[in-house]
Amino acid sequence: MGHFSNTTRRDFLKAASAALTVPYVITSTALGNEDVPPASDRIVMGGIGIGNMGRGDQDAFLGRQDVQYVAVCDVREEERDKAKAKTDKHYQNSDCQAYNDFREMLARADIDAVHVATPDHWHAIIVIEACRSGKDVYCQKPETLTLREGPLMIEATRRYARVVSGGSQRVLEDYRETVDKCWGGELGTIQWINVNVGPLSQPCNLAPEEIPPGMDWNMWLGPAPWAPYNKARCDGNFGTSGNSWRSYMDYSGGGMTDWGAHHFGGATFAVDVREQQPEEIVYHDENGQKYLEYRYANGLLICHNRPDTGNLQVEGTPDEKLPPKPVPAYKGSGGIYGDFIECVKTRERPFRDIELAVNTVALSHLGIIAYRLQRSLKWDPAKQEFPGDEEANRFLDRARREPWQL
Amino acid sequence: MLDQAFETLKTYDWGTDRNLLNPIDEAIVASQADPAARRGLEGRLVAVLKTDVTRAAKDFVCRALMILGTADSVPALAALLAEPEQSHMARYALERITAPEAAQAMRDALPKLDGQMKIGVIGSLGARRDVASVPALAALLGDTDTAIARSAALALGAIGTPAAAKALMRTKPTSAEAASAVTDAALDCAEGLLAAGKSVEALAVYKRFAGEDQPKHVRLAATRGMLACAGK
Repeated sequence: MGHFSNTTRRDFLKAASAALTVPYVITSTALGNEDVPPASDRIVMGGIGIGNMGRGDQDAFLGRQDVQYVAVCDVREEERDKAKAKTDKHYQNSDCQAYNDFREMLARADIDAVHVATPDHWHAIIVIEACRSGKDVYCQKPETLTLREGPLMIEATRRYARVVSGGSQRVLEDYRETVDKCWGGELGTIQWINVNVGPLSQPCNLAPEEIPPGMDWNMWLGPAPWAPYNKARCDGNFGTSGNSWRSYMDYSGGGMTDWGAHHFGGATFAVDVREQQPEEIVYHDENGQKYLEYRYANGLLICHNRPDTGNLQVEGTPDEKLPPKPVPAYKGSGGIYGDFIECVKTRERPFRDIELAVNTVALSHLGIIAYRLQRSLKWDPAKQEFPGDEEANRFLDRARREPWQL
Repeated sequence: MLDQAFETLKTYDWGTDRNLLNPIDEAIVASQADPAARRGLEGRLVAVLKTDVTRAAKDFVCRALMILGTADSVPALAALLAEPEQSHMARYALERITAPEAAQAMRDALPKLDGQMKIGVIGSLGARRDVASVPALAALLGDTDTAIARSAALALGAIGTPAAAKALMRTKPTSAEAASAVTDAALDCAEGLLAAGKSVEALAVYKRFAGEDQPKHVRLAATRGMLACAGK
């Protein structure tokens, strides 16, 4: 059932998107004033999922003079009202439109790009629908909830030549010393790098509570299985121990995907396998101490929770120095947000291009499946399946609650 | 412990300690290389599904059958496809059970369902890339319920066969939502056709969406496709 089963098809999408990238033509009709660039130089944006991380993303885009922020969307009335008020105060008008349903926002022809910071179970549906609507997307990490979602998000991005950026700023900014050593050749040929992160998300069976006023619970659940409202089930705090949606498997992979997107992203960047996925996940259980080794075709290992090993600890061959390679950097100004906006203008691929982000989160998902099945797995990156392993293949995706589909 | 967990299922509801069911989870993992134990577990889970347990209990059982269900589970799951509160979780298992009986059950259910449950089954058949469902899905492209027509289009795009592409090319969407889905699905099919060396068929799809009446990003996608068909 892998959508990447035909590598020729993938090659076409890659080649075609590279072959015909045209300068951006602004579709906005937003008016300028003396303090901001004219409309033709501004990107018209909206935000979907506007609490917690979405609030920070909104602040970052709202503060840019090359962005005209015109719409907010959230299934919680209080959050969207606050986000609208903030936007209107910023522009000293009342133009910002607030939506409960992201589809209404995506239907607007004047919006060029959206940022997405919903819970993870919504990411793929919204990103793909945004691409179908001709929008560029900045999507918070972790970008996927299942392995099947990633290739479909990449295909939608390439099909419509969209700019879709993942959302981990830490990949470039937090592990600089390790990245510089690896790319600088100081460590020679890299043998392995370790990532310490967790925990896995868990099943949820919290007791029903009364749905608070202004909360569209059915829309919050969206494609996830129906369950009664409980504040701890849907709270957006960053915990992964039972008091937030990040704790529960219907909405998140837990710390394994949430912080995993940062740490695995940093690791794959440092050892330069961002464009690859591993071919084998080796499961170890040594006296109850469980850890993984991801084996890449080039012989490199990424370890997960290797005993007595630090996070982003890397082992190379320092006796054989390698020539340095230039380290990729953000484009434009303003960190990862500026990189996205610059790429929206130039139609280049952003630093956290969706394909690189998907490859990162795939490590988390592959690891989760290995831990759940408590055994090693073979993985075919081209076909996006576990060869001959029917049981593992069942975890590639989940049926979505009607009416949602990819 | 396992027997106690199955006993818990009889009264299990939202808010019950989920850890009480862990022995079933553990038995599922432990039985990966033990087909007899698997069959035994599956039989016990299916038996629960046929009883008057709560929605929460059936939710748990469907999740378990997603992992270990076989053709033997299909009749009990199929019986839930028309139940508004159970239909999704029945698909949660059926969509991932590789036995052909699972797809057949959903194809059989399709004409008997309407509204949201029909859309759900359409989505699952698409996710399975179920080639045998193409004629039924093609017939739904003209459904008066535009949500059903949209869902059928996306499913056909996911399946991506030449027959699916032909059906998408023949249809005339009656809503903006369905039109967007038909476009995306047809382009999806065209990519598959091109990759399979059927550039003439792919080109016909791309030409259809390259006109000035299409949104800019669609024209761009179609133009790129046409260039690819020409080997450029």
